[in-house]
Amino acid sequence: MTSSTRVMFPRMPRGPRQDRRYLERPRQQGLVQQAVTEAFRKLDPRLAIANPVMFVVWCGTVLCLALTLDPRLLDAQAGARERGFNALISLTLLATLLFANFAEALAEGRGKAQADALRRTQARTQARRQMADGSIELVDSSALRKGDVVLVQGGDVIPADGEVIAGVASVDESAITGESAPVLKEAGSDVAGSVTGGTRILSDQLTLRISADPGKGFIDRMIALVEGAERSKTPNEIALTVLLAVLTQVFLIAVATLPPVADVLGQAPSVVTLVALLVALIPTTIGGLLSAIGIAGMDRVAQFNVIATSGRAVEACGDINTLVLDKTGTITLGNRLAEEFMPVGGHTTAELAEVALAASCFDQTPEGRSIVRLAEKLGAALPFTPEQATGIEFSARTRMSGSDTPDGIEFRKGAVDAIKGFVRSRGGTVPDELDACFEQVSRLGGTPLAVCRGHEVFGVIYLKDIIKPGIRERFDQLRRMGIRTVMLTGDNPITAGVIAREAGVDDFIAEATPEDKIAVIQQEQKLGKLVAMTGDGSNDAPALAQANVGVAMNSGTQAAKEAANMVDLDSDPTKLIDIVTIGKQLLITRGALTTFSIANDIAKYFAILPALFAGVGLEALNVMRLASPQSAILSAMVFNALIIPALVPLALKGVKFRPMSADQLLRRNLLIYGAGGVVAPFIGIKVIDLAIGALRLI
Amino acid sequence: MLRVRYVRFWLPLLLVAGTLLIAPLFRSSQPPLQSHTLALLLCGTTALAAYLFAVIAQPEKF
Repeated sequence: MTSSTRVMFPRMPRGPRQDRRYLERPRQQGLVQQAVTEAFRKLDPRLAIANPVMFVVWCGTVLCLALTLDPRLLDAQAGARERGFNALISLTLLATLLFANFAEALAEGRGKAQADALRRTQARTQARRQMADGSIELVDSSALRKGDVVLVQGGDVIPADGEVIAGVASVDESAITGESAPVLKEAGSDVAGSVTGGTRILSDQLTLRISADPGKGFIDRMIALVEGAERSKTPNEIALTVLLAVLTQVFLIAVATLPPVADVLGQAPSVVTLVALLVALIPTTIGGLLSAIGIAGMDRVAQFNVIATSGRAVEACGDINTLVLDKTGTITLGNRLAEEFMPVGGHTTAELAEVALAASCFDQTPEGRSIVRLAEKLGAALPFTPEQATGIEFSARTRMSGSDTPDGIEFRKGAVDAIKGFVRSRGGTVPDELDACFEQVSRLGGTPLAVCRGHEVFGVIYLKDIIKPGIRERFDQLRRMGIRTVMLTGDNPITAGVIAREAGVDDFIAEATPEDKIAVIQQEQKLGKLVAMTGDGSNDAPALAQANVGVAMNSGTQAAKEAANMVDLDSDPTKLIDIVTIGKQLLITRGALTTFSIANDIAKYFAILPALFAGVGLEALNVMRLASPQSAILSAMVFNALIIPALVPLALKGVKFRPMSADQLLRRNLLIYGAGGVVAPFIGIKVIDLAIGALRLI
Repeated sequence: MLRVRYVRFWLPLLLVAGTLLIAPLFRSSQPPLQSHTLALLLCGTTALAAYLFAVIAQPEKF
């Protein structure tokens, strides 16, 4: 889809993006209630075991509860005072577990609510299935299988995903895209040849070949994804899980070996105190919020009307180094318009307009139609009857289109080089002025299309390209984030260079063929870079599969959607930039909260260690001047529990993303979440200690 | 027979066996109830450490 005369994305979304969200925002109150119930359900050890950090807390809670019920289980001298303290620690640990479960349940609940919104589009319907002998039978949509041929007509709900094999019709896709404007679907069209089950045909009739078995359609996959049913851990999550498990293991062994050391020092810390120390030391904050951050990342992508096939894809967006972007539709507005006719070889503008009209009468692209309009405005008339002529479609190989009349006259328009080759192959000569016109249009950043009739060149059509407003600023942002942008275009190098400079892309490839896309991606990947790209046509499918992040347009072919790891329901290629931002935000949020969680430990050492070894000269470490050893331990535990719900909004919303280099981001996050993670607990634990003293809890 | 493969079948058995095996070691310094609880706590801590090792070895399964 890198042609110079075709429009890649004919249906650009309208209106502000926030107005086009198809997934309803679930009511917050209902979600919170569900999440609270779910938080208690997740106390089931079979579910708790999935999170190593929180499972250790779970085991500690069970132990503390047992010691609350009978404090003499481990210490024959223990009495009511110990029971009270054990009860407070048990409750605090239970709250820690519930808060972590709540965070995860809240994130999952938002996904489930979105899945319900999608499920409502999946009404079962009757379908007219065409049998091998041509007869039609009425069947339930659930009985349709891949390869079945069905007929749909005006008013019908399309029963399943399929490819249009005959007919032209307008389809209302608002059920999945939120876009009310109908979309034209037709057989043989690359970008308008696929339909989605659940959408409604408004007029005319289509013959479809079903492309997915029941339960495996586009909406089914979307439901499974937003619901989290197929959610598996991403590589980053796995790495972080290992790190957290290692830290937990180290602290478990360290705490388990403390009693003999304390015994030598003449101290006898209680088991509940040791459990409190363990829970304070292990990274419970990030352990409790880790899965919520991942689920929320998927949710944020879905809110942009983009469906990711996996969390891995969203996460990969955050590591992207190179963006490969098509010029048309992404950098420039999709519709280039004919601005001027520039005759050469002694021909007049009227003659050029007539030949341009003849070469464009079968061209239904916006460019083609704009050429027809401009020619007619200049008074040109078709020199033949359209019914008797044959349209020549544009192809990436020939890079020209046109028409052939029955008497053998060939009208062509296309890339200047292509037309030159065509004219010479027919024994004609190319006037010198053609190159001058070509350069003149190219320097203006426009696309020059040469026009010929047989072996005779008539001139150049100036197609004006309009760079999307604000795109330069977006590319500047990406550059600051260390992302390189490469523009692919079928245009000649001069035009491509002008557009690239104006748009501010880092590199461009002119006169690109579909194969060039794969070549560029492979070249970047060989350098160890991660590449993202968008595409919609079948010829984009190999490149979409090759790219680390491939975003297919919903208006695209089934092949493109299956090859990609994300589908944009709005079919807006510019959104790739937003998706990269969300991926970065996901990784930054995870990193920031991990930093905060680990930095938190420092204050807890100063709270619990002096309390644990109060009698052996470690009182000097009590820099917070906490009231008593028991109050210090309880304060650290309460802070540990409260910090989880305090960070839930940040985990779900994500750390605010600022476009800057990785080094700058690291410095900034270390300052805010590292230094903040060190300082905040000192203040928090001291305040809680004062509150415990005021309430006379201990 | 499939049941014997499950950790949830073997784990309680191992914990009980471990407790009964280790408890006599604490009998000299602790009364019977406390020595058994301490032995169970040690076995439980060992099981927890083994679980964490399993997570580190095969994180994608958790």
